[in-house]
Amino acid sequence: MNKKRAVILSTAIVFSFFIVYLRLTDLMILSHKRLSEKAKLQHIKVEDVHVRRGIIVDRRGRELALNLELESLYCDPENLELDNEGTKRLASAIAKEPKVILAKVPAEGRFAWIARKLEHDTTERVKELHIKGLGFLTEAKRFYPKGELASHILGFVGIENQALEGVELRYDNYLKTTGGKVFFRRDASGRTLSSGVDIEAKGNNVVLTIDEGLQYLVEKELDKAMVRWRAAAASVIMMDPFTGEILALANRPSYNPNSPGSVSSSDRRNRAITDCYEPGSTFKIIIGVASLEEKVAKQNTVFDVSKGSIDAGGKTIRDVHKYGILTFKEVIQKSSNVGSIMIGMRLGKERLYKYARLLGIGEKTGIDLPGEVSGWIRLPERWSGTSIGAIPIGQEVAVTPLQMLRAYSAIANGGFLVRPHVVSEIISPKGQVLASLRDKEKKQIISAKTADTFKDILKSVVEEGGTGRSASVEGDEVAGKTGTAQIINPKTKRYSKEKYVSSFVGFVPADNPRLAMIVVIYEPKGQIYGGVVAAPVFRDIANQALSYLNIPRGKDIYETPLLVAR
Amino acid sequence: MIHTAKRKNMVFYIIKPLLIALLLFGLFGLVWFRSHVVTLEYNLSDLEKKKIECLKERKMLLAEKANVLSFRKVEASLSKNQGFVFPDRIRVIHVKKQKESLPHKASLDKKRLIEP
Repeated sequence: MNKKRAVILSTAIVFSFFIVYLRLTDLMILSHKRLSEKAKLQHIKVEDVHVRRGIIVDRRGRELALNLELESLYCDPENLELDNEGTKRLASAIAKEPKVILAKVPAEGRFAWIARKLEHDTTERVKELHIKGLGFLTEAKRFYPKGELASHILGFVGIENQALEGVELRYDNYLKTTGGKVFFRRDASGRTLSSGVDIEAKGNNVVLTIDEGLQYLVEKELDKAMVRWRAAAASVIMMDPFTGEILALANRPSYNPNSPGSVSSSDRRNRAITDCYEPGSTFKIIIGVASLEEKVAKQNTVFDVSKGSIDAGGKTIRDVHKYGILTFKEVIQKSSNVGSIMIGMRLGKERLYKYARLLGIGEKTGIDLPGEVSGWIRLPERWSGTSIGAIPIGQEVAVTPLQMLRAYSAIANGGFLVRPHVVSEIISPKGQVLASLRDKEKKQIISAKTADTFKDILKSVVEEGGTGRSASVEGDEVAGKTGTAQIINPKTKRYSKEKYVSSFVGFVPADNPRLAMIVVIYEPKGQIYGGVVAAPVFRDIANQALSYLNIPRGKDIYETPLLVAR
Repeated sequence: MIHTAKRKNMVFYIIKPLLIALLLFGLFGLVWFRSHVVTLEYNLSDLEKKKIECLKERKMLLAEKANVLSFRKVEASLSKNQGFVFPDRIRVIHVKKQKESLPHKASLDKKRLIEP
């Protein structure tokens, strides 16, 4: 009996073990793959690496573009418990229409965005609603702490942080970085264990050549000019004439890159490099430089402009005032159209064209910003009969403000054509300098002697008797040129009698230039002349900019001292 | 002979429990060490979460600082409340910076003369 019991017991034990063995075979061999995947899902938490764009700073390291960590609201449609009342409360919390929220919730699926990158207060309000099926994910939002300042340089990014304009777009390859996944182990309660790796991947940082202080001064004065002249638009560019570093660049109208969608695309245009205009008298630099280089005229060569008009290909071009006999220097100083055309005729169209191209007209400057246009000047063989009367005075050509500034910088720096740029360095998140763009290439296009001679002529423009008198800065000599050009009416295809572009381009201090600057005011009301509209803006900016840069004045002016700077 | 056998027996009786104790201690140590590592990993994970929170806070503060220190805001605040003005360049005198300000010594004069 006992033996029988022992056999039954043994059989039962063996059978039990056999069942266990079968189950183990199923678990460990047959269902191994499926179960191990399931176990992984339970024990391993996968998270996307937080990808953050690099920051953008000005030349002194002041932050101009940063990243914020904001919460984005999503829903799990399968678990969402949202009734009418809840929808209304949610809509009120995130300031959206209930129907907009409902449209974002799909009938099936496990994930859908409700609202992206919410402000902290909004996030708290939504959390207080305790709606089941709603969740938050942290996302990076690009933030431009200075608002509108330098918006046309910085550009902006889209909702997915994709670069859309400006430096953000041009240097996107450096600023953005790739992500990946991080695996965390977690326990049954969902607590995660350290993965030991950094969950944040940062892009490279970009150092600009612009200076926030100078940019602010430029924008402040530009705003004043826009109000004063009720202008349609305006641009100012300030550059180091020796290196091509853009110190400030501003346009009006402008926009806030934190909400770029709130303005039209026209307002977001970087007019300083994307818009062409007929430069008018500022283009007289071409005839000036060409005639000095080709020895067609000297400073004291005289021109009889007493008639006050000149015929060019059947078209009569007049001076604003009748001048009599003028020297070459006075032709530029007083901006005589008749004298300029006379010089242009002496030079001939081939040489005029050659020097225009040499000074960078009709070609892109190569600035590291997207959307630059090349401007426009016709080949000499395609000039009309009137072209020789139009081009020397800045008509029948189209330039960007930056092209004109670059041409005048060549006078300031002794004859070199620089390459303008807005980025000086690219720095890795660990602080290593990856690229330094400080020493850009520059080529000599005119002799230093010509540059010096023409600089003297430009100085006379801002002196007594010149058209740019109101650009003069107390304590320093300014060299520059005024420009007043009519705008072509697109309907009539003729020059408008009401719409003008007023400009002033120059550099200061004239003998040791630190700043080259162009001011272009489109369609000013009340006054039209560059010397009246744009030159004072140049003066006001230059005055404050020299003070900001702590540049000692060239001339002694005895006033009550306010500060003593070392 | 008897003495040696007795001695061997004694050693065996001492070493055996010692070995068992060592084994148990080793096992316990291993478990304790493993559990300690896991605890540390939990702590590390908590610290990482704190770090992320702090970094998030830092980013917000940095942005706020950059915003508050913008020239527009600083000028508006200082000129309205404190009476600060942008310096008029004409009223600023620049004084050349002295290389060094040493007390006058006759012996130094000669040295200065021969310096480039």
